[in-house]
Amino acid sequence: MTKALEGLRVVDIGGSISTEYCSKIFADYGAEVINLEPQSGFETRKSPPFIKGKDESAMHAYLNTKKLSVRKDKLRKESLEDLISSADLVLNNGEKSELSSISRGVFSDISWYGNGGNYDNFIGTDAQCFALNGMLRGLGSVEGPPIIPSGYQAQIVGGMAAFIGSLGQVLGVELGNNKKPSLVETSIYEATLCFTEVGAVSFFNTGLEGKRLGVNRFAPTYPLGVFPCKEGWIGLTVLTPSQWHAFCKLLKMEDLALVPEYQTSLGRLQDIATIEPVIKERLLNFSAKDLFYKAQEEAIPLVQVPTMEELLEVDQFLEREAFTFAVLSDKDSIKVPSVPFRLMETPPSFGGYVADLGENTLSFDK
Amino acid sequence: MKTNNSLKGIRIIDLSMGWAGPLAARNLADLGADVIKVESCENFDWWRSWEATQEWIDDDGAEKSPAFNSVQRNNRNITLDLSRLEGRELLLKLVGTANAVMENFSGSVLPKLKLSYEIFKDAKKDIILLSMPAFGSTGPWKMFRAYGSTVEQSSGLPHINGLSSDPPMMHHVAYGDAVGGLNGVSALLIALRHQAQAGEGQFIDLSQVESLFPLAAHGILEFTANGKAPLRNGNKSEFFAPHGVYPCVGEDKWIVIQILNEDQWLRFQEIGGADMKRFGDLKDRLSKLDDLDKTIAKWTSTKEAQKLMYILQGAKIPAASTHTMSSLLNDPHLNSRNFWQWLDRAVVGNQPNPSAPFNINGKRLAIKTPAPTLGQHNHEVLTGILGLKQAELDRLEDIGIIGSKPKMPSS
Repeated sequence: MTKALEGLRVVDIGGSISTEYCSKIFADYGAEVINLEPQSGFETRKSPPFIKGKDESAMHAYLNTKKLSVRKDKLRKESLEDLISSADLVLNNGEKSELSSISRGVFSDISWYGNGGNYDNFIGTDAQCFALNGMLRGLGSVEGPPIIPSGYQAQIVGGMAAFIGSLGQVLGVELGNNKKPSLVETSIYEATLCFTEVGAVSFFNTGLEGKRLGVNRFAPTYPLGVFPCKEGWIGLTVLTPSQWHAFCKLLKMEDLALVPEYQTSLGRLQDIATIEPVIKERLLNFSAKDLFYKAQEEAIPLVQVPTMEELLEVDQFLEREAFTFAVLSDKDSIKVPSVPFRLMETPPSFGGYVADLGENTLSFDK
Repeated sequence: MKTNNSLKGIRIIDLSMGWAGPLAARNLADLGADVIKVESCENFDWWRSWEATQEWIDDDGAEKSPAFNSVQRNNRNITLDLSRLEGRELLLKLVGTANAVMENFSGSVLPKLKLSYEIFKDAKKDIILLSMPAFGSTGPWKMFRAYGSTVEQSSGLPHINGLSSDPPMMHHVAYGDAVGGLNGVSALLIALRHQAQAGEGQFIDLSQVESLFPLAAHGILEFTANGKAPLRNGNKSEFFAPHGVYPCVGEDKWIVIQILNEDQWLRFQEIGGADMKRFGDLKDRLSKLDDLDKTIAKWTSTKEAQKLMYILQGAKIPAASTHTMSSLLNDPHLNSRNFWQWLDRAVVGNQPNPSAPFNINGKRLAIKTPAPTLGQHNHEVLTGILGLKQAELDRLEDIGIIGSKPKMPSS
């Protein structure tokens, strides 16, 4: 079956979580992706979590299925130039590269803070992006300290933003709208502003500065959050008056349903002290799974909140093949997330083989 | 700044509402696509308000939502009552001129409107339909209701964040929406490439919950590769110390400090003074973590957060002060990069608009137009694209198929 991005060659010279997530989407949809790695390999090969009993990064495996690995130091100069100049897209990690001048396609640079500006020379991290985008201050208990989001979330978001900018420019060339290939510069920090830009614009209009309300408490509504049940946890969001009425009926709290102050989301948020003890007590009569199906029958946005173990066994995700396998060179494999969107006529490839460092060098050294 | 025309000639019909779909559409419009958002006067985008009253309508409330306005720039806006045959037929004529349609309704809405991919395909053989319900378009949960918050709750992320003494922790009031939007535009760009190459459209099945799995990958992989769920240790790291959020001078002012290698630690010791010399290498620091964190917190609590950030970053030590929503608008870095673009918008006046997170050829993507008002482009689109005459528009307005003012739902 045809792959939508077939015929495109992408060369990753950056080897960051962001460049590799960006090129992962290209690889999943059929582009040829080549990791041009230094002698020591890309940094992601040393990024946790690691695979039990092996000196290999599970994160690198997840991000690099179906890609080829070429050792830069093993390529002759002309082979290196051929490889870079033949690429439709070269991905870099923000560090200066002599290869940018050889690129004939789109050159896409993904850095923490973008090229230029007051933070240009800052060392970046995921946590910093969430501190500076305003999200971190809203997380955790009222007294603090705010709690840092775990993992590589900012870098993944940066990789997605770079994919949009990069494929947009590649497409612009193919459509004849862009006369010459371009330089795309993505800021991971600015990419994470997608979460908070609305809050900043709202502040400009209302003058209301949000405060940290506590774990899982967010304006503008209540009940919203993660609550314990007899068995398991549920996630709940009640926004509209009809959802509030249906939720009260479900938990047999009809006396709260028609309280005039509780007909608006803000009204309920302002009286959590009264509402929450009742909700928490009633929820302990249900298992999370039972309540989930009952609530969805009544069109209430309520779900189970799965642990990592439960997530892999959720029937919805199993049926949709939401998880697949990254296959290692020793034939072992680990379960990894699949592609979150499916083009039905040009479906993606799920998972695949993870190349060892430099495994494909000879194929590119002419 | 420069407008970007990479997607010139591409037309998108956006039926989506809220945040995820419109954010995807905004990215396409930023890249030069002609995005036409379709609402109706009774069934307007719920991000304008989910608690509309007649008073709100009379006060032009529909044009004042900062959230709604922030994702609609560069679009055109028309109204069509899709619950009526005439409105539906006009939509299908418009689809006949488009490359793609996008929607993010729950699974029951399109069938109620007697719309489907097959029907859109009859209107335009090579049309693309992006459908982005919370749980995807297949599977036992395909009809289930969700918001961006529900999407995060269902993704597993809460169980790998926060403190073990607290409930599993969410990040945001609607974390799933923004990520769903970025995945939506990615999917559409891929499908548009195939459409341009092969002349073939297709249905895109996007799951907003699955869109969050890559952000939870570190936790998923810890379990699948090691058989254990990650500990919810809050700000503590098993690899780095110090690694935390520390108080600074002022109410609710904080700084993130993360020492990622020993060189950074030596420089930090020099800046932090004698108290820091009590702590040695990483192993020593990890063994005295509470003492270390308290010592640093005592030191930072006399410092101004942003100044300390510049001092530490000047010494190549990873640090960042925490912004509020108000200070975000004055961030010196963002302002030096012209991130906020100011445009005059009807009803609400001069407004900050966030730029695309990427520059092209060293230039910001200039925002051409602010968010349109409800039905602002009815005339332009219905006459200019569909060839209707003014008298026909007047008739459509008289019978309520089109309009420019919201109405309270009749039932």
